[in-house]
Amino acid sequence: MTVFDQTYTRRRFLQASGAVGVAVSFGGVTAACNLVGGQGGTFNWMTWGDHYMPDQLKAIEDSDKIFANISELSGNAEGFAKLKEVKGQLDMMSGDALWLRDAYHKEGLIEPFDINELKVASQLYPFARQFDIWTTPEGYLGYPFGWSPISIYYNPKFVDPAPDSWQVLLDPKYKGRVVVENQPEEIVADMGKAAGFDDVYNMTDDQLATVKGYLEKLKPNVLKFAQQATDSVNVMISEEAYLITGNLGNEDRVKDGGGPEIKGFIPKEGTVGWMDAEMTVKEGANKALIRPYLEKANVAEYIAANFIEHGRPLFNEAAYKVLVNQGEQERADRYLYNKSEEVLAATTLKGPGTSTAKSIQLFNEVFGA
Amino acid sequence: MATEIVGGAAVAPPTSVSGGRAARLRQLAPFLPAGLILVGLFFVPLALMLVFSFWSTDENLDVVPVWSLENYANFFDNPTYVRTLAKTMIMGAGVTLACLVGAFAVAYFLARYVSRRWARLALLVIIVPFWTSYLLRVYSWQAILGEHGALNEVLMALGLISEPSRLFVYNDVGTFIVLVYVYVPFAALVLYASLDRFDFTQLTAAQDLGARPIQAFRHILLPQIRPGIITACIFVFIPILGEFLTPSMVGGAQGLLIANLLANFFKNALIPEGAAVGFMIAAFVILLLVVFRRYLRVEDVVARA
Repeated sequence: MTVFDQTYTRRRFLQASGAVGVAVSFGGVTAACNLVGGQGGTFNWMTWGDHYMPDQLKAIEDSDKIFANISELSGNAEGFAKLKEVKGQLDMMSGDALWLRDAYHKEGLIEPFDINELKVASQLYPFARQFDIWTTPEGYLGYPFGWSPISIYYNPKFVDPAPDSWQVLLDPKYKGRVVVENQPEEIVADMGKAAGFDDVYNMTDDQLATVKGYLEKLKPNVLKFAQQATDSVNVMISEEAYLITGNLGNEDRVKDGGGPEIKGFIPKEGTVGWMDAEMTVKEGANKALIRPYLEKANVAEYIAANFIEHGRPLFNEAAYKVLVNQGEQERADRYLYNKSEEVLAATTLKGPGTSTAKSIQLFNEVFGA
Repeated sequence: MATEIVGGAAVAPPTSVSGGRAARLRQLAPFLPAGLILVGLFFVPLALMLVFSFWSTDENLDVVPVWSLENYANFFDNPTYVRTLAKTMIMGAGVTLACLVGAFAVAYFLARYVSRRWARLALLVIIVPFWTSYLLRVYSWQAILGEHGALNEVLMALGLISEPSRLFVYNDVGTFIVLVYVYVPFAALVLYASLDRFDFTQLTAAQDLGARPIQAFRHILLPQIRPGIITACIFVFIPILGEFLTPSMVGGAQGLLIANLLANFFKNALIPEGAAVGFMIAAFVILLLVVFRRYLRVEDVVARA
């Protein structure tokens, strides 16, 4: 007779269930104690999809028993609002440029740290450890990851002559052939640049009124709003779109996907740029795991592989050397990998602005029915 | 003590006031879980949304609890929101009508001409796509309707068009087609449940008595499946008012609906501004349900649909 053939009374059944429950709980508590005791654990991370690679996470899980529970981040404002709500439920947060200082740190949500305490930080370009906007008396606000100016890409088969300005996105010749990322405040900022304004996250009402005219010209040309960067790459591969906006590196991503030869440029009116970092959440329940994770995840080999996969440059100088050794110097140089300081200096960095709400109202006003 | 029988129902004998209250509470007890769910998951969020909609967001993206009607004023002062809401309603009405027509034809055929066993199999086939992700299904429509998609390939192979058409996707047409695809199974299931209980010999009897087929359809069939039709309308029309994903994926820049504008607020942490637009949609949905309720008794849905 097996255990399944036995007849149980209600009391016996409850006793057995209780015993199983206690055993499972004990096992769970023991496992948790082991993890807290320096043997790994799980931390919660809100980030963009290009900040990690499955193989990399798997290797860190296997070697250090550190598991990343990742939730997708679609924009800075959304991430900031989410962290304000959940606080300690997240342990690490990715964010862009001025958002670290003017939003997360100002609100007291993140924990500055001494970046030089991280061994892997020695692989970064020295200037990446000294950005003014991320330096505070309490420490550095985040671990620098990637960067890019927003560029325009075009298919020379359909776009002629070669453009050099934001104006190409407004040309009626390209009706329904432009794809931009689904980030309303960034689209408004881009059109602010097109209009010649500098501080495109803090525009005045008059400036926004001018930008409205640009958005109205842009609207008929927009085929769709890309939900993620791969959407933009796909429409260039299928040649449904002739022009897209995006980060550095799309030429190879389109080519690698079997698409046509495309070209990219930074508009002459100037552009918006981003540089992102990993922040440690002050109230994060598992924040002790962040430094060990960063030490493992940001070594040059992983960063070089990330560059090859996603195309845009990163702040890890040692990874550049790895790329050179791998015969990828031409690609790295083409995407300005070792020119971050000068390129970023010429862009308007992403950050929270005073005109965000009005920008969204403006976007809705133009792109609604 | 004996109980009285009044009108066929057993009635408890009169007791004291406190005993009556206790009895009434006991009667209401089974409704407590449903009541809690309704209050917790519907009334409380709706009330919170209403409260937030009167507040505003400052430059730090913090919610400022200062009461004003500004968000509603923005909604009504800006013709875009009213126009987009109207467009969403027109889209919803069009999709509902298309779903009813398509689903009725299928359900009628299955209920009248197909054995119950085969009809159930056919319904299973209708439901099967629901086992895959909504996102995946909408993505696949991009591949079907796109400029280099399957539909264009077929039309070109048939010689109906000479070059790929851009008519089918990234506009209102694309949104319409995919919404019909997404919601037609809901309508089909509800209508089949209604038609399955209908005695089709009544149509024959009506025609024997001199009614034309259309008259029999209108005066015999339609009134009896009315609850099913109204339920199908509710199941299709109301979710479309909040549809965000389909217009994002296949509507392009020209096919946005009201929920897309609403999402732009939330994505940028403008919660009060989004709450006001959200509450306008919710208020409209509640208004519609009140209107539907006039034509639909709850027991009709439970008993027939």
